Amino acid sequence: MHKLRLKFSKKGPIKFIGHLDVMRYFQKAIRRADIDIKYSEGFSPHQLLSFAQPLSVGATSDGEYLDMVVNSFTSEKDIMDRLNSVCNEGITIRAVRELDEKEEKAMTLSFAAKYEVRMRQSSQLPAGWTDDFMRFLSRDKLPAMKKTKSGEKEIDMKPMIFDCRPLTDGDGVELILSMNSKETLKVSLLFQYFFESCGLDFSPVYLNINRADIYRLFTDPDGRRYIEPFIPANDDERFYLDG
Amino acid sequence: MNYKLALSDETLLSIEKPERYIGNEVNAVYKDKDKVDIRFAFCFPDVYEIGMSHLGIQILYGLFNSYPDVWCERVYSPWIDMDRLMRGQNIPLFALESQDKVRDFDFLGFTLQYEMCYTNILQVLDLSGIPLFSRERTWDDPLVIGGGPCSYNPEPIADFFDIFYIGEGETRYRELFDLYKDLKESGISRDEFLRRVSGIPGMYVPSLYDVKYKEDGTILSMEPKFSDVPKKVNKELCTDLSNEFYPTKPVVPYIKVTQDRVVLEIMRGCIRGCRFCQAGQLYKPLREKSLEYLEKIAIESLKNTGYEEISLSSLSSSDYSKLPELLDFLIDKCNEKKVNISLPSLRIDAFSLDVMSKVQDVKKSSLTFAPEAGTQRMRDVINKGLTEEDILRGSRQAFLGGWNKVKLYFMLGLPGETDSDILGIGDIANKIAKEYFETVPREKRGGRTVEIVASTSFFVPKPFTPFQWAPMNSKEEFLDKANKTRKGIMSQLNQKHIRYNWHEADATMMEGIFARGDRRLSDVILAAYKKGCIFDAWSEYFKFDTWMEVFSEAGIDPFFYTTRERDDDEIFPWDIINCGVAREFLLREYKSALTGKPSANCRQRCLGCGATSYGVGVCMEEKSGA
Ligand code: SF4
Repeated sequence: MHKLRLKFSKKGPIKFIGHLDVMRYFQKAIRRADIDIKYSEGFSPHQLLSFAQPLSVGATSDGEYLDMVVNSFTSEKDIMDRLNSVCNEGITIRAVRELDEKEEKAMTLSFAAKYEVRMRQSSQLPAGWTDDFMRFLSRDKLPAMKKTKSGEKEIDMKPMIFDCRPLTDGDGVELILSMNSKETLKVSLLFQYFFESCGLDFSPVYLNINRADIYRLFTDPDGRRYIEPFIPANDDERFYLDG
Repeated sequence: MNYKLALSDETLLSIEKPERYIGNEVNAVYKDKDKVDIRFAFCFPDVYEIGMSHLGIQILYGLFNSYPDVWCERVYSPWIDMDRLMRGQNIPLFALESQDKVRDFDFLGFTLQYEMCYTNILQVLDLSGIPLFSRERTWDDPLVIGGGPCSYNPEPIADFFDIFYIGEGETRYRELFDLYKDLKESGISRDEFLRRVSGIPGMYVPSLYDVKYKEDGTILSMEPKFSDVPKKVNKELCTDLSNEFYPTKPVVPYIKVTQDRVVLEIMRGCIRGCRFCQAGQLYKPLREKSLEYLEKIAIESLKNTGYEEISLSSLSSSDYSKLPELLDFLIDKCNEKKVNISLPSLRIDAFSLDVMSKVQDVKKSSLTFAPEAGTQRMRDVINKGLTEEDILRGSRQAFLGGWNKVKLYFMLGLPGETDSDILGIGDIANKIAKEYFETVPREKRGGRTVEIVASTSFFVPKPFTPFQWAPMNSKEEFLDKANKTRKGIMSQLNQKHIRYNWHEADATMMEGIFARGDRRLSDVILAAYKKGCIFDAWSEYFKFDTWMEVFSEAGIDPFFYTTRERDDDEIFPWDIINCGVAREFLLREYKSALTGKPSANCRQRCLGCGATSYGVGVCMEEKSGA
């Protein structure tokens, strides 16, 4: 029995496919790729498969993660090649890594996510909005009402924003937001308040979102907290949290 | 794949289920449009989830795309929200793969699976910007062609179609495409082209026929306008299914659809000859596919789709002669790959129960019987060879095997039905419950008890069946019969264990009108569409009152088509078509029905229906003589 973690991107029309259907998509892809996945016991066995975090419908991604348990496999690369040969719909496996047997699920470990946010045509934001946005984020507090299971509660969004900078091409921003079991900040909630501060109508469909990666939390030998993608593409993707 | 979508992100995110309109599913076929000669848009005129579940489209989609010069794409009815949006913003209907406008295609094909989709055909034409009537179209419009079961009496929608394809689609489309390639650029008129099409076997071009009516409204004659147009159109049929194309790479939808599994068609046709059943006559004679072929197809399809379930498909799978071998093979392969097997339409007996217990969770699944009528007398009338003893024996064996749920299907409004036939429904349901209590002692029930669901639908006489002459019940009669059925069930000792469902009578009446309708109904369908009728197959959108209004405005009596008994020699609108089964045979069967005389099945004795002229399948087998 081996635990594997896969990093994949989701681009093109498949961005309109919701989380549950993406799961069903992978279940079928794994069968097509003839991967020796492990099944649960019982009368209707299911594949041992879990995703880090759902991605909202309409958003693309460069860094989604899924964990699976296999009975056997030849190599990480073989798993990647097999899956990529049967996925032509905008899903690309970017990396596969075997995990320690005791590793917890990506779902439990995820701590933050990086997003690139641009505006779709329908949004009324004037050009140069990123400056306004940076100014908005520099407020001491960013109070918001967040929907919960039992109604609404007031939160402060500010400590859930780890980083924000304009994209180099100037028409959007890159954000690192908290995404874990304690607190999760949705891009759309943040922008709802930003639009409000500009006196503009807001709808989530205005936002063109790409999730760049999902991060987990580490502490270095000096006791400083940093985050890093589950499977980094480069060596220097460490991001220190406390400045 | 194709990243360029016809709709904006904003539009797609503002509607229900954008997945219906984006294509790009697994195994969807993409081609370079500059390298093909023929663009074919294939439409199932209902919502995506229904249309995607249909095997026929998958077969022809795969076959057409296997031709290098053809690119076949899919189109479904935009759902109500999308329909509104497209009209509001003048967005033309597009095909899923290329996302190109349907109007720019060479062909627009419709599969006609049920009568209640007729207004959706108009929706698709309308949203595409294609003139609704064949006579108004030019070479700038696609050729509009229909096929499938309703094309065996296409007269109510004849004016909207350029061509109907009668029979199994595998055989003659290539000829049609070649003719089109030869002639399209030759300067020939569209009408002239259609006349040439009528020379291809199986192609019915309705505009080439004149229909004359008698004073009583029945047909006087239906004659070709030209001498080179055939007087009758013969059904097309595959003679060697084991060497025929089968789609082992069907398109796999992202979202859950009605039929979410590999469908393995094991044979076509049926030996049984139930007198109410249209499919049983249309697809005669029974032709089986070879075991080796099916094994190969099953493995390939599972491999290419990744589906976790496979289902056998046929009209009566128990009649497949190598069923035990096929199931052994599938159970073996599927266990290995953790694939479920679903087995619809099996006759309940020791063999099928044994198989079912291997592939299903007995506690969750139910047994299905379709006695169709409540008494043996009535079952003889309809030639349904299932006796009460069969049902009770099957139930007993199943109860011993751990089943406790039973589903029963009946029809109300069958020819010659009496109150005792109706009350027989409650009676048989009660006997099954009694069987349970006698078979399974209390201590073995494990806290469970028997659950029986009896469902009735209302009988609609269909063309090319022995009952094509028979009167259909009125809505009032139907509802009265459903009421009697309910009371009959309520009066049973075990009524607490029996649930009863019945179909809507209004929709059934419409189905009855169109099933045996004629050309004069085109105007009614158009008028209903103009008044907002669409998705009539969906009870929440079906507007019965609007339909009735339209009939009365058009001065057409709907009962002319339903409750009237036809004379033996009446000319039917569908007589233009030869489905391979002789009219004399059907009439003979109708007379036998009226005297309550059952007939043999095709394996026992040939009844001389006429299908033997195809020279294939069960017609060529030795008979058991029973
Ligand atoms: S010709 Fe005879 S065997 Fe063939 S389908 Fe008809 S009744 Fe059956």
